[in-house]
This record gives sequence, C-alpha cells and structure tokens, in this order.
Amino acid sequence: MKLIAKSTVYLFLSSIFVMIAGGIVLYFTIRTIVYKQIDNSLKTEAAIIEDQILQSDTIPDFTADFGHQIEVKLLNSQIRKKVVFKDTLILDEKAGEYLSYRSILYSGNTKDKKGYTINIYQTLEEKQELLKDVSLYMSFLFLSLLAISILLNYLISSNLWKPFYTSVDQAANYNILSDKPILLPETDIAEFRQLNGVIKSMTSKMRSDYLNLKEFNENAAHEIQTPLAVIRSKMDILVQNARLNKENLELVKSINDATTKLFKLNQGLLLISKIENQYFQAEKNVSLKQTVETCIENYREIMEIKGIKVELKAASSAVIKMNEILADVLISNLLSNAVRYNIDNGLIRCEIDDRLLVITNTGLPLKTDPELLFQRFHKGNDHLQSVGLGLSIVKKIADSYSMKVSYTCNENLHIIKLEYR
Amino acid sequence: MKLLIVEDDKALCKSISDYLTMEGHLCEVAENMKQALFKTADNRYDCILLDLGLPDGSGFEVIKELKENKLTDGVLILSARNSLDDKLHGFNIGADDYLTKPFHLAELSARINSIYRRHNLKGLNEISFNEIRVNTEGRQAWINNNLLNLTRKEYELLVFFLINSKRIITKESIVEHLWGDEVILTDSFDFVYTHVKNLRKKILAEGGKNYIKSIYGFGYKFSED
Repeated sequence: MKLIAKSTVYLFLSSIFVMIAGGIVLYFTIRTIVYKQIDNSLKTEAAIIEDQILQSDTIPDFTADFGHQIEVKLLNSQIRKKVVFKDTLILDEKAGEYLSYRSILYSGNTKDKKGYTINIYQTLEEKQELLKDVSLYMSFLFLSLLAISILLNYLISSNLWKPFYTSVDQAANYNILSDKPILLPETDIAEFRQLNGVIKSMTSKMRSDYLNLKEFNENAAHEIQTPLAVIRSKMDILVQNARLNKENLELVKSINDATTKLFKLNQGLLLISKIENQYFQAEKNVSLKQTVETCIENYREIMEIKGIKVELKAASSAVIKMNEILADVLISNLLSNAVRYNIDNGLIRCEIDDRLLVITNTGLPLKTDPELLFQRFHKGNDHLQSVGLGLSIVKKIADSYSMKVSYTCNENLHIIKLEYR
Repeated sequence: MKLLIVEDDKALCKSISDYLTMEGHLCEVAENMKQALFKTADNRYDCILLDLGLPDGSGFEVIKELKENKLTDGVLILSARNSLDDKLHGFNIGADDYLTKPFHLAELSARINSIYRRHNLKGLNEISFNEIRVNTEGRQAWINNNLLNLTRKEYELLVFFLINSKRIITKESIVEHLWGDEVILTDSFDFVYTHVKNLRKKILAEGGKNYIKSIYGFGYKFSED
C-alpha cells in the first residue's frame, strides 16, 4: 500500500470517527436546548392559567388549535402540588398515525382547598423537523469538509513526496556499469536531502568498489599470468638441454602439466567473474544453428580422428538475443564436453528448435549426480587435465540470460538440455 | 633477425632473449617504456615484442610513437590480459599480432617468423630445410620438387617444426599452435600423434628423410641427427 493511500485511509477513518462523535454530541445538545425552550414555554403557559384559576376560580376558555391542546380540570379534593414533563404519543385521528408531543402536568390547589390539574400538550413535529434539517445540513457540511481535507491531503502529500519517489526511481534505475552519476532531485525537505545524500554516497561507494574489484581481477590475471609465463618459458628452455634424461623430462612434463592447468584455471575463474560482473554487455541476435555449425567445424578434425559421428538438426529460426562471445563460449563448452567425454566411434546429436537446444552424446556412465557437475571444480570422470569449470561457466552464462540448463545421464547417453526461451 | 624485447619481468625477458638468441636472432631488451621509446627512436627492428603493462606506461604508447614517425617495425603484443578490447585496440593502432601470456617460446618464435615474412615479402616467403621447401604464400610444401599433399593442419605443423627446428617442442605447444588455447581437449595429444604420424608418412613417401623425432612422449624434435 502506498504511503499516500495509507495516510488517506487513516485520515478518513479518524475524521469519520470524530464526525460521528461530534454529530452525536451536537444532536443531543441541540435537542436539549429545544426541549428546554419548549418546557419553558409550557411552564409559562401553565403559570398563566394557574394565575387565572387562583384569581377567578374559573376555568378559562380555550380553543384547541392544531398541535396545541390544553386540558384544565378542577377537582373537589385537595391534590399534591407538582410539575411533571413527559413525552407522549397521541393518535392523530385525521392522519391516522401517532405523533409525538411534549406535555406538562401542572397541579395545585386553590385557596378553598380544591385541587386543579393543568395538562398542556405541545406537538414536537415542527421541532423534530427542525432537528432533522439541522442534522442533514450538518452532515452535508461534515462530509464536504471531509472530502476537501482528503483531497487537500492527497494533493499536498503527493507534492511533498514527489522528490522521494523521484529519488527511489533514480536509485532503482542506477546502473553500476555506467559511469553516469546518479541524478537526484533538489529538495528543501531536510529528511529527503539526507536520504539523497545517503543514496549518493552509497552509489558512489558501490561504483568505486565495483571499479576496484574489476581492476583487482584484471591485475590478478596480470600478476598470475606473468609468473606462469616465466615458468613456461623457462621450461621450454630447460627441455632443450641435451643432458636431460628420460626421468628429468618426465619431471618437467609434470611441472608443465600443472602449470597449464593453473593457467586454464585462472582463465576460467576470470571468465566466470567477468560474466558475474556483466562484462559482456553488447547483445545481438545470435543464430544458434550458425554458432553450432561453426563450433562443429572447429572440432571436425578431432571428431574424425575419434570416429565420432555428428547429427545436427537445427531450425534456422532458432535465435538467441545475447552476447556473441558468450554464445560462442556456451556452445563450444557444451560441444567440447560432448567430444571430450565421448567414446571412440561414438555419436553426438544436436537438436535445436525454437525453444530448446539438446545435445546428446554417447559416453561412459557417470559416477556422480549430473546436476553436481554445474558446481565449480566438480569433475565427473577423473580426467587429469580437466579443471572442472566448463559446466559451471555454462551455468553462469545460462543464469545471466535466465535460461534453464539441465544435465541427465541415462547409462551411456549424456543429455544436456538448454531451455533458452 | 633483429628483435627488441620490451618486457618488465626480468626472468621472462631473459628466457625469451635466451631462446631467440639460440635460434640465431639478435635480441635487445628494454625494461620500460622510456627505454623502449629511446631504442626505437634510433634503431630499426624486424620485430618488437611488446608487453602492454609496463611500469611507466602502456605499451600502446610505443606503437603510437612508431606509427606517428611512420616506422614499419613489426609489433607483436605480449599481454597478460586476454581481453578482446585490448586485442582490437592493438590491431587498430597497428600491431601485427597479439599473444596472450603464458605462451610457449616455440609459439612465440612461429609468430615472430610469420610477422617477419609478412613484412619482408621479397623472396623471403620460402622456408627450407635440406630437401624440404615450403612456400608460405602459396601454403605449399615440396620434397625435392615433389609436391606434398598436406591437410591444413599438417601444413601448419610442418611450418611450426621448420621454424622451431633443432629444438624440442612440447606436444602441448603443438596443440596450442594448431587449435588455439580455447580448444582444451584432454586427448588432444593423441591428435598431435596422429597428425605427426601422417606428416612423417607423407614426407617419407615423397622421398624425404625422417626428421621428426619423438622425445620420450614429451614432445618432438625436428632435426637431422
């Protein structure tokens, strides 16, 4: 829920509560005032009638008019003096319905000890009408106030929070790879200025960390490759020495193999970190058929020597939008595995449709869970020269383009499936 | 051939210069950019082996300086960075080739030779070894005037042997030369064996001698003795 919606809801609920409570209080206050007024006028009228009774001992003549009735009775006995106000309902015969009245019962005694009662009924219809009108008017006023205040709150808030949302948008769209600094809106609100400051310093820290890391990777490569180059070149010179015998050369060969492995390892790890750092950005539509064909061509000779047969069934419409270098690395890693772990006179079948690339190859049964081979340094069969990075590079590339890659092994058949769309 | 090695790592510099001197080249050494610029200002070289990461600047500066003075010395970049950007940039400003560290000295030698041949076309596109003659322009080889019918890889292998004759070259450097270091295949040594066997057979069939000697399964040596 957006902040603005939340604050509007809170404002709405609390206003409704205040308005209902205020409305109730107001209603009863007005009602009390109206009753007091009616009661006063009833009492005054009764007092006038009483005056007349006391002076003349006669009942004054009344004409009852609508909504106002007076009943005066003289009794033969004495009565207790009292004044009682009451709400009553009286049937209006003409309209056939009960109407509410306010009444006063006023009783007392004359000088010759005879009691009298005065009952005056005053209709409440008009007052209730008034009360209804007032309530209606008040509710309308309250509701308009509510609507206006919510609207104002909405407008003011959205205006106030605008720099905040702009900052959030900018931060979300920030690209660590680009050297463009983040652009944050100017604002005179202290909290937002603080937020912008934090975003700014965080992004510039991220950027400089990223650059440092990148630089470190490149430097590490450089620093490791040069000593490797020294070892390799010294060995090339060492083997020229005529005094070396077979055992010496065996030793040199082991050192050489280890050096090569180290070099491949370094290259593989660097490639992975480059993929992770999105070093390969440029994308284009790469034809899978063409990439696979080129790659098969590269391995043609080796496959012929091993007697491996290749079947390629590819739809020329199979296209991936990705970096060309990575596409080459991806396909050549998969195919080189299919060649490397194949058996003599084996088979490689490559099928590509608009969604799937499936490479099936013959080979020895796997000793480990095939999915584990996507992890770094996990090797299926104990090949001396394998560094165990090939499939993890494949996985990294697949992940970075949200493709799904799976490896299953069914006895002598190894199947790699790449769901690229 | 007169060569300039621009490389700040002394050990690497020494092995390069030792190996190339053994092959009969004249090697001079520069350990930083300043020395390199100083040397290239006064001397001409058939090929300059140029490290990119020098302590006092980038090797690219040396190439720029050469091109500004319209000098045509061959330039082979030796870099620890296997970066496409660097490669493209190097070629754009006029480098002849790019070799990523760590390389085999036999490979280095082959690259220098190919740069040299490209720069000096007149009469120098032939390599010969006794009865074997190779024309690098037409990519053909003869044993005494009998044309050898070689596959592309066999031809490349023969040239590699001829350039590095009398040296032991490891199977590994042959693999990298023929297939590049991107193709990492465990059993690729078997393919080297197959190619060597076929090449030897073809040379013998056309009346050549067996010059390719296997060295304890470690590598080969192309020589007379």
